[in-house]
Amino acid sequence: MRGRRLRLESDVRRRQADPARDRHRRRWSRLGLRARVTVTFGLGALALSATMAGLTYLTARQFILHERETAILRQAYVNASLARSSLRTPNQNITQLLENLDTLPGSLSVLEQRGQWYADSPSVGERAIPAPLRALVVSGTPATQHFVLGGSPQMVVGLPVPSVGAAYFEVFSLADEARILRILALALAGAALVTTAAGAVIGRWASGRALRPLDEVSKAAETIAGGRLHVRLVAADDPDLSALAASFNRMADALLQRIEREARFTSDVSHELRSPLTTLVTSLGVLESHRDDLPIRSRQAVDLLTAELRRFQRMVDDLLEISRVDTGAAELSLDEVEVGELVREAAQASGVGDVPVDIAPAVVGLRLLVDKRRIERVVANLVDNAAQYAGGVTRFTVEPAPGGIRVAVIDQGPGVAPTEREHIFERFYRGHTSGRRGTTDGTGLGLSLVAEHVRLHGGRVWVESGVDNENRFVVELPAHGHDLTSPTVPIRTDGDLDRSLPIYPRSDAS
Amino acid sequence: MTGRLLLVEDDERIRASMRMALEDEGYDVDEAASGEMALERFAEQPADVVLIDLMLPGMDGFECCRQLRRTSAVPVIMVTARTDTHDVVAGLEAGADDYVTKPFVAKELAARIRALLRRARSVDEPSVLTFGDIEVRPDEGTVERAGEEVHCTRTEFRLLCELATNPGKVLSREQLLDRVWGYDYFGDGRLVDVHIRRLRTKIEPDPANPRHILTVRGMGYKLTA
Repeated sequence: MRGRRLRLESDVRRRQADPARDRHRRRWSRLGLRARVTVTFGLGALALSATMAGLTYLTARQFILHERETAILRQAYVNASLARSSLRTPNQNITQLLENLDTLPGSLSVLEQRGQWYADSPSVGERAIPAPLRALVVSGTPATQHFVLGGSPQMVVGLPVPSVGAAYFEVFSLADEARILRILALALAGAALVTTAAGAVIGRWASGRALRPLDEVSKAAETIAGGRLHVRLVAADDPDLSALAASFNRMADALLQRIEREARFTSDVSHELRSPLTTLVTSLGVLESHRDDLPIRSRQAVDLLTAELRRFQRMVDDLLEISRVDTGAAELSLDEVEVGELVREAAQASGVGDVPVDIAPAVVGLRLLVDKRRIERVVANLVDNAAQYAGGVTRFTVEPAPGGIRVAVIDQGPGVAPTEREHIFERFYRGHTSGRRGTTDGTGLGLSLVAEHVRLHGGRVWVESGVDNENRFVVELPAHGHDLTSPTVPIRTDGDLDRSLPIYPRSDAS
Repeated sequence: MTGRLLLVEDDERIRASMRMALEDEGYDVDEAASGEMALERFAEQPADVVLIDLMLPGMDGFECCRQLRRTSAVPVIMVTARTDTHDVVAGLEAGADDYVTKPFVAKELAARIRALLRRARSVDEPSVLTFGDIEVRPDEGTVERAGEEVHCTRTEFRLLCELATNPGKVLSREQLLDRVWGYDYFGDGRLVDVHIRRLRTKIEPDPANPRHILTVRGMGYKLTA
């Protein structure tokens, strides 16, 4: 029951010094905590019930046999004295005498007088009595003995009757007692087994109950891993659990703080860059508007500055956009728009208004709730990407997809290598085609922002290769990605901030 | 088209560059380095459009805008380094008509200024629009609610006229941006939302449960009598 499963990884490494012990422990550990608690409870119940059963059996056996022996001895004495008084009368028919004695059922009376043996059941006679005891009693010592005859337990009592020169023996069957004790033993063993099973069941149930808070912890951890960093556990009154909840929450807080600090840094840097950027952009704009008055070399310098500044500005904007997603400050401003038209307009705005936009008849007039600005950025970034790496956009298609709509941006190729198809959506990813970056305006964030924008909509984006080695960047947007309560829905709803998972007990959940 | 601008910006270099750019576009540019100074300058010599940076030392841009609004319906453009909804909405709530984010392209800013000036000068609507107990007089630029005058900024007034001339018809945010602000496709829907909200507080009996200016979810807004 010691929490062997949960320990620090460094501890695990340190303990692996003793391989044999460790192997054993591993096998035990592999059972799982619940199984181990169950086995432990079962074994405990078995030990306890077996001990109780054993003690009960021994006590009962001793009591039963003692009672029986007392009765047997009493009867043997009575019969011996009856035999003595009868034998004082001469010429007695001894066999008759023995038959007339009041004996217990199944008992056998045997008498010896002057070397002569008599029995109430001649077929058995003195042979039923062990010879050593016979000799001992005949020589004048009273004795008793337990023995087994024909598979059934017997007890013999031998009493010398010296006044008439005889010895009286009586053999009793203990078969009934043996049967009772056997039944008792069976009953006790059965009870022990039932108790063991009950122990195991209780162990399983109790460990399940005890582990239930861990389920909540793991649920909360998964929720946090899923990106909802504000989920916390509610501490219950139980001191053990509240400590767990508190340390879990502390961990989540620390994690959140670190993430926020990082994202805030990016955001702050981007913001701080904006003031000098404003002066640069504005002043350069003034220079540009007087471009015709400038000498040719200055003109070239202004053009270079303008191009590079545009790229720099885009990079700052992209960084800021990404940091907003990272801090969870990104908000969707949703409007119902016809996606086909939106793509057409975005293409126009991206300077590729002459590229055909094929809108499938099924989606003409179909309106979806989307953040126009973001979808427009998606199209613009994909257009940029195509222009930089694949000869430019050749076609847009807008088609229905299961549960939504699919927008594809098709370029001239060359196609993205299959191994790079997932990576190109990573930030600042530099693949084999990056050699061409030197002459481009790329910020290294364009496609990752595409992925973020689409993800915020609950959609997916991927790239596939066409027959002529062209790329198809496919954006799938769900028709019902969001449960809307207002036209503007922040992705990080306020309700989520306050929402905490109850840890224990469940009924505390509000 | 020329006009007089008041530029409120504490960063001297940005101010100088903006001044150059806007003068190139043909405007007369007046400068103020703080909110307090801006209010003084405006009192001395009213401008046609005021540009206010949100982050000012002392009185911030929001406060400066609010103070300005007490005495004037002059078009105001907020200049902000942050595009977060909070700042943008707060700026619009403070009474700004529009906003631009740094770094901006001078030509785009000039286009917005032009749009504001154009709106400020052209009015050609019927003489009285009535709904409920509200009377709008486009010619005189006045709004009356139950006979009492309601003070609106020019943008609010234009918005109200636009809705009132199309009673019962749903106007999308883009349509409103286009007709009221004079923007094409690239406007920000939040401009419309905030102005609608402000308008409601002025003419609705219960702004939380509007009777006249209704939101049509996912579509836009419409006016009912």
